[in-house]
Amino acid sequence: MKQLIDFRSFYAGIWKENPIFFIMLGLCPLLAVSASLKDALGMGAAFMFVLAGSNITVSCIRRWVPSHIRIPVFIVVIATFVTVVDYSMAAFLPPLHRNLGVYLPLMVVNCILLGRAEAFASKNNIINSALDGLGMGLGFTLAILVIAAIREIPGQGTVFGINILGKNYTPFLIMIMPPGAFLVIGFLMALKNRIGRKNKC
Amino acid sequence: MLNQSNIGLIFLSAFLVNNILLIRFLGLCSFIGISTHLRSSVGMGMAVVFVTVMACSISWAVYDYLLIPFHLEYLRTAAFILTIASFVQFEEIIIRKKVPALYKAFGIYLPLITTNCAILASAFLGIDYKLSFIQNLVFAFGISFGYCFIIILFASIRERVDSAPIPASFRGVPIAFILTGLMSLAFMGFKGLFRL
Amino acid sequence: MNKKEIITGIVVLLLVSLLSGYLLSWLYGATRPRIDEQKKIEAARINREIFPEAASFSDVTSEDSMTFVKVFNAEGNAVGRVFDIFPAGYGGPIEAKVGIDKELRVKGARILSHTETPGLGSKITGMGFLDQFKEKAGTSLYLKKDNPEGTVDAITGATISSRAVADGIRKLQEKLSGAEK
Repeated sequence: MKQLIDFRSFYAGIWKENPIFFIMLGLCPLLAVSASLKDALGMGAAFMFVLAGSNITVSCIRRWVPSHIRIPVFIVVIATFVTVVDYSMAAFLPPLHRNLGVYLPLMVVNCILLGRAEAFASKNNIINSALDGLGMGLGFTLAILVIAAIREIPGQGTVFGINILGKNYTPFLIMIMPPGAFLVIGFLMALKNRIGRKNKC
Repeated sequence: MLNQSNIGLIFLSAFLVNNILLIRFLGLCSFIGISTHLRSSVGMGMAVVFVTVMACSISWAVYDYLLIPFHLEYLRTAAFILTIASFVQFEEIIIRKKVPALYKAFGIYLPLITTNCAILASAFLGIDYKLSFIQNLVFAFGISFGYCFIIILFASIRERVDSAPIPASFRGVPIAFILTGLMSLAFMGFKGLFRL
Repeated sequence: MNKKEIITGIVVLLLVSLLSGYLLSWLYGATRPRIDEQKKIEAARINREIFPEAASFSDVTSEDSMTFVKVFNAEGNAVGRVFDIFPAGYGGPIEAKVGIDKELRVKGARILSHTETPGLGSKITGMGFLDQFKEKAGTSLYLKKDNPEGTVDAITGATISSRAVADGIRKLQEKLSGAEK
């Protein structure tokens, strides 16, 4: 039964169907920007904006888009929002924009964006599509923040740039370099599997 | 900006030193999913090389001859992704007609490539580094060969690993990531190989 | 797919693309001035760090394959120039700004971007390292271990990065001294 305002998708996006841990889509930008919490938050916020925005737009125009042309149309919508975020960030938050680098425009091929537009936004009303976008975006942001915390605290001794482990702390450098990212996510996935299995019993 | 215009070094840098998968983290979704079997990895690797080189060249041309003259550089995100998607579509049709054997070899990986971030990234980086057409071509070759090399290497490892006693929680994706981490560690040794 | 479907498909796609293009061009117009402004502010900020007495700068000039801005003090006199250099570091090109005063000595240096090893080569951005270049010229700009007349201490465990910066600064200074002669 389709309700007018349905929060189920919102909650699902955060936990049960968290895009990173459970559907494992959109990994590329995740590992690249999770070396620092600030960048992770920036990327997460940008992602949420694009996902919510494109979901809303797709939902608005869903009645007028013929089925056989929908994928290219969705791609154009997503690319538009990504470009909006790209240039807005360059204008108002240049340091963040520089840190995110090429991974920001790369969001356009993030499978989650196209996936949600296709699977949800094209079939539901505007409000629910917005909620879905926000929920999934929030889930993505939370996941990326968790990974960033695990990497930044030992790897730089800071939280959002604020030193919390003291001046004499020798950073555990591998955490902020590529191998560290892979190892962290590998262990997190294993942890998720373990929790999943325990719950099944 | 690359202050090294030597073609060989551009290739080596894209292939090894800044390997697209292990150092730049791009192209991971398909990588993790497909590297479970050697045969599919070879197919994907070949497809990636082919599409990357062609799509990057076309994107470069689109940027230089279409976007810049009309001062439309800000449309590059949309333009590139549409170029790549159209090229893949177009070329799938042609290959199916002209070289069916090749089409069978690529399998389902050809359409899947559109969402491969590595390809779009190569297109972007070629522009960001201000490469000439030939340099861009070599750069695209380097990146895609890097992908192909790693995915084949990785698939071989994974096939062995699957028969090893791994704790249940780690089986499948987690151990794949940890393996990738170890390979990435090894590849970091290439840093500083030459000044690029 | 019959003809009607193809045509509606193309029309819809075209409409969406045009709308998106229109929106983006508006956005571009709105943000471009601000982006350029930010770049100028950032560059001016760094230039001021190098030349504390700076009151104004010329526009970016390119001469003899070197890019620089002229620095003027409050009275409007030229006090020096700030150059952009791109020495090849360990992990890739390093972007740096070097201030040269009127006596052709190094006024100061700042690192803008680099891809050196975090924790080791990344220390080249620290003032502890960069302050060593102040008021020096010629062969004193070598690393101590590279030349008996050198006065620059390399960063422990980051010789290549340190050397890249020192050599980059020295080459610039030598080129200017040579050109002036």
